[in-house]
Amino acid sequence: MLSFIGRSIIQKTITLFFVSIVSFLIIHLAPGKPSQVDPLNPKFTPEIVERFRKEFHLDKPIYVQYVYFYRDLFTGKTVSWKDNQSVLGKIWERFLNSLPLFIVGTIITWTLSFPIGIRSAIFRGGLYDRSATFFSYLLISVPGFFFAYVLIIFVVTHFHVPVIGLKTFGIGDASWLRMIMDRVWHLLLPSVLGATGGIAILSRYVRSQMLEVEGQDYVRTARAKGVPEEQVHYKHALRNALLPFVTMFGLILPGLIGGSVIIESIFSWPGMGRMAYEAILARDYPIILTVNFVSAVLVLAGTFVSDLLYLVVDPRIRL
Amino acid sequence: MKTIGKDSRVDDPMADRRSGIEEFWRLLKQNRLAMIGLTIFGLFFCIALLGLVLTTGRNPAFDPAMVRLQEKLRPPLSRPNLETLRPEEVPRLGVYLFGTDDLGRDVFARMLQGAWVSLTVGFVAVGISVIIGIFMGGISGYFGQNHPSMDTLIMRFVDIMLCFPSFFLILTVVALLPASMYNIMIVIGLTSWMGTTRFVRAEFLSLREQDFVTAARALGVNHWRIIFRHMIPNAMAPVLVSATIGIATAILTEAGLSFLGFGVPPPHATWGSILSDGKRFIFDAPWLTFLPGFAILIVVLSFNLFGEGLRDILNPKLRERY
Amino acid sequence: MTIRRVLILAPTVLILFLIQSYLWVPTYEEQTRGNPDRLNEYITASIGDASILNPILSADSASSDIQSLVFEGLIDRDEELRFRGRLATSWEIYEEAFFYVNEDASIPGVGRARAQEVVALIRRAKAGEIPTDPELETSLANIREISVGPAKNFLVTRYEKKNEEDKTPAELKIQVSAPARIKLVLDAVDQDLFQNLSHILGKDYFSSFNGQGYLTVDDERWQEKRTKYAEKILPATEHNPIVVFHLRPGVKFHDGHVFDAHDVKFTFEAIMNPKNLSPRIADYEPVKRVEVVDPLTVSIVYKRLYSPALGTWAMGILPEHLLNDEALKKEAIRLGKDPEKFSMRQSRFNRHPIGCGPFVFREWKSDQYIILDRFYDYWEGPPNYKHYIYRIVPDLLTQEMEFYAGTIDSYNVQPHQVERLRDDPRYQNFSGPSFGYTYIGYNMRRELFNDPRIRRALSMAIDVDKIIDYVLYNQGERITGPFVKQTDYYNHSVKPVPYDPQAALRVLEEAGWRRNKEGWLEKDGKRFQFTLITNSGNDLRKAVLAIAQDAWKQIGIDVRTDLLEWSVFIQERVDKADFDALILGWVMGIEPDLYQIWHSSQTHPHQLNFVAFNNSEADDLIIKIRQEYDHERQVAYCHRLHEIIAREQPYTFLYVAKWTAILDKRIVIKETDRQGNVMYKKIKPTKTGNFAFYFNKWIKLPEAPGFAAEG
Repeated sequence: MLSFIGRSIIQKTITLFFVSIVSFLIIHLAPGKPSQVDPLNPKFTPEIVERFRKEFHLDKPIYVQYVYFYRDLFTGKTVSWKDNQSVLGKIWERFLNSLPLFIVGTIITWTLSFPIGIRSAIFRGGLYDRSATFFSYLLISVPGFFFAYVLIIFVVTHFHVPVIGLKTFGIGDASWLRMIMDRVWHLLLPSVLGATGGIAILSRYVRSQMLEVEGQDYVRTARAKGVPEEQVHYKHALRNALLPFVTMFGLILPGLIGGSVIIESIFSWPGMGRMAYEAILARDYPIILTVNFVSAVLVLAGTFVSDLLYLVVDPRIRL
Repeated sequence: MKTIGKDSRVDDPMADRRSGIEEFWRLLKQNRLAMIGLTIFGLFFCIALLGLVLTTGRNPAFDPAMVRLQEKLRPPLSRPNLETLRPEEVPRLGVYLFGTDDLGRDVFARMLQGAWVSLTVGFVAVGISVIIGIFMGGISGYFGQNHPSMDTLIMRFVDIMLCFPSFFLILTVVALLPASMYNIMIVIGLTSWMGTTRFVRAEFLSLREQDFVTAARALGVNHWRIIFRHMIPNAMAPVLVSATIGIATAILTEAGLSFLGFGVPPPHATWGSILSDGKRFIFDAPWLTFLPGFAILIVVLSFNLFGEGLRDILNPKLRERY
Repeated sequence: MTIRRVLILAPTVLILFLIQSYLWVPTYEEQTRGNPDRLNEYITASIGDASILNPILSADSASSDIQSLVFEGLIDRDEELRFRGRLATSWEIYEEAFFYVNEDASIPGVGRARAQEVVALIRRAKAGEIPTDPELETSLANIREISVGPAKNFLVTRYEKKNEEDKTPAELKIQVSAPARIKLVLDAVDQDLFQNLSHILGKDYFSSFNGQGYLTVDDERWQEKRTKYAEKILPATEHNPIVVFHLRPGVKFHDGHVFDAHDVKFTFEAIMNPKNLSPRIADYEPVKRVEVVDPLTVSIVYKRLYSPALGTWAMGILPEHLLNDEALKKEAIRLGKDPEKFSMRQSRFNRHPIGCGPFVFREWKSDQYIILDRFYDYWEGPPNYKHYIYRIVPDLLTQEMEFYAGTIDSYNVQPHQVERLRDDPRYQNFSGPSFGYTYIGYNMRRELFNDPRIRRALSMAIDVDKIIDYVLYNQGERITGPFVKQTDYYNHSVKPVPYDPQAALRVLEEAGWRRNKEGWLEKDGKRFQFTLITNSGNDLRKAVLAIAQDAWKQIGIDVRTDLLEWSVFIQERVDKADFDALILGWVMGIEPDLYQIWHSSQTHPHQLNFVAFNNSEADDLIIKIRQEYDHERQVAYCHRLHEIIAREQPYTFLYVAKWTAILDKRIVIKETDRQGNVMYKKIKPTKTGNFAFYFNKWIKLPEAPGFAAEG
C-alpha cells in the first residue's frame, strides 16, 4: 500500500515535470508576445517595448525563462503581465468563484444520472429507455453556447429577471435569505447547462453498468430464489454496479477548469475558465501556464485519488 | 421491441455462416436509432459534396460570398426584390430559401458551403487522430513486450497529453497560431489521439496472443505485415466507433472555437461561424441562429447515434449477453 | 424501498429548490420600486476589465473609463472641444527663444557683431528704425524682452560605448566655452522667429553658427563626433515654449489631502521615471522641466516647439503624498519586498486609486465589477448619483439581456439594436460621431499599390454610402481624411471619392489592367491579386472585409481575405509590414498631430506609418503643424495636408462610426439653481457629440418626467 502510494507519487511528479516543459514550449514557440505592450498605441515606442521585454526576462534564452518561471511559481512570486497581480492569488479567487458552479453542477449530474440510468437499465429496450438514449445524445450533441443563448433569452423575455453574473446587481440591502436565493438562482442556469453533458454521459454509463451486473450469476440466483424484482434491482444489482462510480469521484476534479470556458464567458461568471480564456486573448503567459500546471496537478491528483478509492473499495485489488 | 441486436444470434442458426458485412447490415437494420443516424449521415455527406460543387469556382451556382446589402436580413423563403438587384445578384432558386444574413448573403449558399467545411474539419481532424492513435497504440501494443521501454515511453506520453484540459489546450494553440482551417483541423487531431492509442494498444495486447498471429509469426511474416495485414483489421471495430463519435466532437469543438472567435476564418463559412456571427441578430433575424444551430445539432446527433449503434453491433460481448 | 425513494426524491427536491429561487429574484420593475436606492446607482457594462487604475501606467480603454471619474486633470475639453480649466483655473503660454551670437557671421550693414550690437540691432528693428517686411514686423512686435546671457565655460561629461558589446562605456569630458547667448521672451510662440530674424541678421546667420569650434574633447577617439555633440550641447537656436498653469485653490484628494503644484510636478516625474515604464513617456519627453513657482502656480518649460503639449495635461494628477519614494519604501517594507526594486507598478495604489475626481474608488473585483462612490468634497459639487458601478460582461448579447432585466443602465449598444429600440417608449437613445475612423490601408511598398491612380480606383469600387446605410444603420458618416470630423482641422471642402466601378475600370485600364477571358483583371499576364486582412473579433471590420472582397471581385480583382487574431495581426503582419492591404481603424486625438502615422520617417518596422506613405510636402506640413501654436494657421496647414492625403489615397477612408447609447427614459439631468429649485432636463448630446458630458448631473427618477416643449 505505502509502496504503491510512493511509486505513484514519484511517477506523477515526473509526468508533471514533462507537462510543465511541454506547456512551456507550446506557448513560447508560438507567435505573439505579451500585450501589455499594445504596439498600435502611438504612445508605445520601441524602446518601451524593449524595456518590457527585459523586465519580464523575455530577452533571455528559453531554458532560462523556463527556470525563472517555475522558480517564481513555486515561491509564489509569479505576477500576471496584465495587472501585476499575484497569479496564485488570482487563481485562488477564481477557483472560489468556480467552486459553487462546479459543486451544484456535480450534484445535479449525480443525482439525476442515477435514477435515469437505472430506470433505463430496468426497462431496457422499452420506450423509456429509447427516449432516454435519444435525449442523452441530444444533450451531448447540442452546441453549448447555442443552448445557453436560447435558454437565457427565453428566461429573460418571459420572466423578466436577470440571469447573468454571480448575483443581481443593484439588489440593495435585501434580507440574507433573499441574497442567498438570488445567488442560487444565478447558479441555476449555468450549472444546469454545465451538467447536461455530464448527465447524458453518466446516465449512459450507469445503464451499462447495471446491465453488466444484472447479467451476473448472483443476480440471476437472487431472482431464481424468488427475491422481489424491485429488491433485485435496487439491492443486489445496484450495490455492485455502484462500485466503479466510487472511483469516478477522483476523476471529476479536472472538470473544475476544463469545459467551463464558454459557459463562464456567456454568463460572465468570473471563474477559472474565463480567466484562462482572457489570459489567452491577452497573451498573459504566466496565467496560461499556471492554469495549465494547476489543471495538470488536478488531473494527476484525481487519478491518484481514484486509484486509492479503488484500493479501498474493491477488496479484490491489492497492489 | 427491437433494439441493440437483441438475442438475434441465438435465435438464428444461420447467423454464423453469413459474411461479416451482411451480418453487420442485418444488425444495423434492427437498430432504428443507428439507422436514422446513418441515413442522416449519408444525406449530410451528399449535401456537403453537393455544396462543394455548387459553391466554388469563379461563378458558382450559389455564391456564398455575394454581398447584397440592400437585401439584408430577409427571412427564409422571402423573394428577392428584383428591382434593386443586378441580374447576376438574383439568387439561383429565385427565392432566399434560408433567408439572408446581415450582409445580404444567401444563407442557403453559406450553409451549403459550411456543410463541406464542417465535414472536412471533422474528417481530417479525426483522420489525423486515428492515424496517430493506431500508430502509437500499435507500436506500443505489438512491440511492448520485447521493448518495454518503448511501451512505457508512449504510455507516459499519453499520460502527459491527458493532463492538459483538452478544450483549453486546443484554444490556446489555435489562438497562438495563425488562424486557418488547416491549423484547426491539425490541432484538434493532435489533441485527441490518446483514447485511440489506449484501446488500440489494449486490443493489440490481446490480439498478439491469439493463434493466427502466433501462426503468422511462426511462418516468418515480417512485423509490419502482421500489424497491417492481420492485426489492424481486427482491431478496427472500436476505432471505428470512436472515430464516428470523434467526428461529432470535432464539429462541436469547431463550433465552440468559432463562438470564441477562433474558428475557421472567412472566406470559409462553417456552421459554427454562421451561428456565432448570427447570434448578434437573434432578435432581428432568429433564423441566422436557429438554422445553423439545429443543423449542427442534427448532424452531430446522427453521428453520435450511429456511433452508439456501431458500438452495440461491433461489441460481441454486449450482443450475446441479452 | 428506501433506495428507490431516495433516488427519486433527491433529484426532485434538488430541482424544486433550485427553481423556487426564481421567486426571490427581483424583476425589472421591482428593482426600482422595491428598492429606492437603485435609483441612485448608475450601472454600466463593459466587455473588458480594467488592468491598472493609474493614469500614468494604464493604456486600455476600460482603465481610462474609470480613471476619468476618479482622477482629474489640469484641463479638459468643453462642449465645443475647447480647453477648459479643471484643476487649473487658467493658463498662459509664452516662449523663451535663445540663440548663440555668431561671431563669425557678417550681418548685412553691420558686419561682424558682438552680443550687445546684435541686441541693439533687434531693438532698433523693433522700434521701426530699420525697414522690415510684414512677417518680420509681426515677429518683432511679439518680442517682450531681450537680454544677453554672458559667455561661459563649463564641463560636460558623456559616456560612450565603442560598440554594442562594450560593457563599460568610456568617460568622456568635453570642455565647452560657450559664446554669449541672446534670450528673447516672446508673448506668443512663434515658430518662424529665427527665419524672420535672419532677414536682418543675414540669411545664414543661424545656420553658419559653428558650434564645434567651442568644444574641446579630451579623447582623440571621439573627435569625429564633435559635430554631433555640438548640436546637442550648443544648438544655434532654441525654442522654449512655456506653459504656466494657475491652480484651483482648496481642491482635495479623496483622502482629504490638499492638492497643490507639487502633485503636478510629481506626476510628471513619475511618468519620466524609467522604473515605472510609463506608456505616456513619449507625450512628456519634450518637457524640459516643471517648476513649482508657488503652491498654486506651476510652469512647464518645453525643450522645443510641440503644440500638442497642452492637451497632455488633461491627464489625471497623482497624489504625491501617497506615491513618492518615501511612501513607496514604507509600503515595500510593509509587504516584505525589496524597497530597491519596488516601483509604482507594484503599489497597492493601482488597485485602490485616490485622485480628486468626482467619484471615490470603493471596490474592484476582477472580471466582475468596479464600484465608485460619489465624492462629497468634489470642487464642482458632488455628482447626483451616489454610486457608479462598472460591470464587466464580456458578451454583447448578454449585455443586452442584462439591460432588459434592468441590472445595467447602459451598455455597448450596437447600431442594429438602436434601430430596434428606437421607438420603444421605455428608452431614450443617442448617437453622435466618434473620434475614430475605419479605413483600408494599402502597403505602398508593394508594386501593386504604389500608383495613386490604382488606389483611387480601388476606393471607387467600394460603395461606402451603402455600407453606412446597411451595415451601420446610418450610424456613421463618410470621412475623407485623417482629422477628427468635429474639429475645424477637418477640411470639409474635400469631396469623397465617388462610387463608380465603371470609372474605376477605366482608370485601371489606363494603368494597363485589362480583363481576361475569365473576367479577372490582368497586366502582362499577371492577375490583379492580393490579400486583404483584418483582425478577428470586430464584426464591423469583418463585414467590410466581406463587402470589399465582393466589390473588388465585381470589377475583376481577385482578393483573398484573412482574419487574424489581434496580437498575431499586429506583431506578425502590421509591425513587419508584411501585408498587401488591411482594414483597420484609428482613434484620433483631438490634437492634429499626425507625425507618427503619416510622416515618412515613421515607416520602419514597429512604427505606425506601416503603409509607407511618403510625400515631402506632407512631411513638411506635419512638422509645421506640430510646431504651430496659432490655431488659425494650424487649421490652414491641416486643410492643405488633408487635401494631399485625400489626393494620394494611401487609405480608402471609409467612415467614422457614431457611438450609440440607449438609456432608460427615467434617467435625466437634475439641476438645482441658487434658490434651491430643482429642475429636470432631458439628456442631450453636446454639439460635438458627447452625451455624457453632464454625467455628474444625471439621476434616475422613479417615473419618467414630462418635459415642456423645448424651443
